[in-house]
Amino acid sequence: MERIDTTRAYELIREKITTLALAPGAPIDPQALAEELEMAVIPVQEALKLLAHEELVTITRRHGLYVSDVNIEDLDALSETRMPLEGLCARLAAERATADDLVVLEALCAETPTGSDGKELFALDHRFHQAIAAAAHNRYLARTLEQFFGLSQRLWFLALPHLDFLPTSVEEHITIVEAIKAGRGDEAERLMNEHVRAFYDNVRNVFPLTADS
Amino acid sequence: MNTEALVLGIDTGGTYTDGVLLEYYSRRVLAAHKSLTTKRDFSIGIEKVIEGIHIEDPAAIKMVSISTTLATNAIAEGKGKRVALLLIGYDPELITSFKFGERFATPNYHYFAGGHDVYGREKEPLDLPGILHKVQAIKNEVDAIAISSYFSPLNPEHENRVYGAVSRICDLPLVLGNQLSTKLGSVERATTAALNASLLAVLRDFVIAVRRAMERRQIDAPLMVVRGDGTLMSAEFAALTPVETIHSGPAASAIGGRFLSHLEDALVVDIGGTTTDIALIEAGQVRVGEEGATVGTYKTAVQAANLLSIAVGGDSHIGIGRDNKGLTIGPERVVPLALLAQQYPAVQQRLHTLSRRTWVQAAPEWLEYWLLLREPDEEVLGTPQEKALVSLLRRGPQPLPEIVKQLDLLHISQIGARELLRQEIVGRAGLTPTDLLHLEGRYTPWDAEASALAWRVFCRFQFKDEDELRRQVWVEMTKMIVQAIVTFLSGKEIRPPSLPDDADLGRWFFFNSLDPQHPNLETSIRLRQPLIGIGAPAGIFLPAVADSLHTELVLPDHHQVANAVGAIAGSVMVSEEILVYPHLSAGGVDVTGYYVQASDQRELFEEKAAALAHARQLSRERALGAALRAGADNPQVTLEEIADGLDTYRIRARAVGNPRLQETGSRE
Repeated sequence: MERIDTTRAYELIREKITTLALAPGAPIDPQALAEELEMAVIPVQEALKLLAHEELVTITRRHGLYVSDVNIEDLDALSETRMPLEGLCARLAAERATADDLVVLEALCAETPTGSDGKELFALDHRFHQAIAAAAHNRYLARTLEQFFGLSQRLWFLALPHLDFLPTSVEEHITIVEAIKAGRGDEAERLMNEHVRAFYDNVRNVFPLTADS
Repeated sequence: MNTEALVLGIDTGGTYTDGVLLEYYSRRVLAAHKSLTTKRDFSIGIEKVIEGIHIEDPAAIKMVSISTTLATNAIAEGKGKRVALLLIGYDPELITSFKFGERFATPNYHYFAGGHDVYGREKEPLDLPGILHKVQAIKNEVDAIAISSYFSPLNPEHENRVYGAVSRICDLPLVLGNQLSTKLGSVERATTAALNASLLAVLRDFVIAVRRAMERRQIDAPLMVVRGDGTLMSAEFAALTPVETIHSGPAASAIGGRFLSHLEDALVVDIGGTTTDIALIEAGQVRVGEEGATVGTYKTAVQAANLLSIAVGGDSHIGIGRDNKGLTIGPERVVPLALLAQQYPAVQQRLHTLSRRTWVQAAPEWLEYWLLLREPDEEVLGTPQEKALVSLLRRGPQPLPEIVKQLDLLHISQIGARELLRQEIVGRAGLTPTDLLHLEGRYTPWDAEASALAWRVFCRFQFKDEDELRRQVWVEMTKMIVQAIVTFLSGKEIRPPSLPDDADLGRWFFFNSLDPQHPNLETSIRLRQPLIGIGAPAGIFLPAVADSLHTELVLPDHHQVANAVGAIAGSVMVSEEILVYPHLSAGGVDVTGYYVQASDQRELFEEKAAALAHARQLSRERALGAALRAGADNPQVTLEEIADGLDTYRIRARAVGNPRLQETGSRE
């Protein structure tokens, strides 16, 4: 079993990285980070190793630890891998979703996010994708997508100040769920592909802006 | 090869945090330290204890183990996190008519359709949409969610389905009833789940703080936490099942008493500043209660040592009974005047002045002082009167009548500082048994003169001889402890006299045995087992108790810190329960097979014998694996089978082993 303080440090640091509180490319001093989190250093170091495994943290011999960078090449590589997999996921969900899976998806569609900082909107989008991955009943697929999602999350927060496309993407969720419920695999796959492509197109459009700023 | 294994035991009690450094195999206590408990943040007191022990080579420490009142306190003081309790298949009318709702440990509980019956059959379909709708409505108002479904130990399907669905719509920690208790009491299971949920973050933060304190002292060793039955679990287990740490302090002191005395059968009496705890050691084990542990007004399904705790200790408040007659000792704990005067010399001056006043002007109220324990945050001070009280106490401790006068009040009851007292912003000081020890010269770390002055005032007010009244305090304390022991062992209580001229034989027998008065009849009560005394004042208070019970008093070396020793002396234990119960035909008349229900899987067998055999094997394997993961060294498994009515059997495997100490050179 993982140490409870490692788990906690992982959660807190991951949140800092994905919400850009720890900026891409910023150096990390485990000692100072432990002090800030009021924790021992060992669990912080362990958590950083886990994050390095997820490619959110980079460890080099010469420069020590830093937050992994994000760039346009990553964006393209991520989108071309993630899109077909998310589509596959939606198709499988349409074939395999149980009654409980559908109840969860409907509950998520009924939710109206409050708060204006975008964090909650994003969390809702994340849960929606996780719920579809769970409904696809393929744990390898779910695990792979979860990692890609974590990497995309930072792109989204980078682009956030320049964007206002999310409410429409929440509407897209509803149409995807309709297709899954009806068992229309082809349609679910197509809609999901469009949904993910729209996300990356939007981010790509504003990305040079954010890279400059 | 160095065969020494150093282990560090820490007990965070209500008054003191104790620590011991022990060589594990030889049972030698190498160092001990006491420090005042810091209730705001237990880790401060823990770090002070580690510092006070002066560990030469921190790398030599192979294990740290802690018993803590953290969970018990958090529940008693309502400091747990906010919890929503989802009750599935519970009957609202039944809960309301028996007022069970008050026992759920959270006001935020909700009913939903679902649940199973006594044969594990679905009672009604699960209302999953209703549950998700409710969770979405309340998720921002709570910190955790507890889920308990009717007869979930027989069939946890509904709890598991709710877990799967709720965890996909929110990130709150979720606790399932069937994971904490396999007993069938549905109210206790719901209460246990709710309490566990409210304590998750509390215990997690505690473990994080302790690990940080350890690291600052360069200690890198496995961390264990004591359960309510005195066994150990890893800090990681504890963070998932914090509710199991309830009553771990008293359990640890009983185990420490056994460990230090080498006695296999004895009664352990632990006298602290606040309480006296009594537990029984039988065949080397602390006797465990049949029923679940009770905390405050909540009945749980948590297994804990069978013990009795009474509110009498060295720092119990000595007062005058009703109508200015007789003595009262406790139940509240106060700062002894000797300590107060040591810290604030002005108090001794005031007591001098008081002792020269006339009888009328020196009532015992003048011996009760209030003091500011810490500076409160601004928002805590709600009323102008609270603000006035705090600013008055900033000038130093004040006697009660002075506070009444300064705040322009008529009576003590009008001060209204309950909240400040509860949060330990304002503290109380007064006469205590500890003061009497000071004036007798038996224990004198603080200002003995202050104690003597106060006692003179107290006795003069009642026209009593000082020596005589002091003897009466000791007799009264002995009686209270003996009475508690007799009640604990016999299960019978001595009722207060119904008539002034009491004719009850039981009462007469009991009191005549403590203090023989009858010219013809001699009675006595004898305890067969020896008494093990634990705690700093045990050597002072317990000889008279042992005499009254005609038994031997054993005060092992280091009995003052036996509770901290007990924190490391326990075994690592994991138990795994599996239920076997009949599967009925569709008509519900014939038994067509037997289910073997583990927490996460269920299998059907045609024959009962095959089902039981499978359950035995499965529980044994699971307990063994879990014990190894929990840090047990070479665990041994014992099986127990309990018939639970209606052709239902509970197979309990218990794996017990000594804690696995960290091997040298295997840090990673």
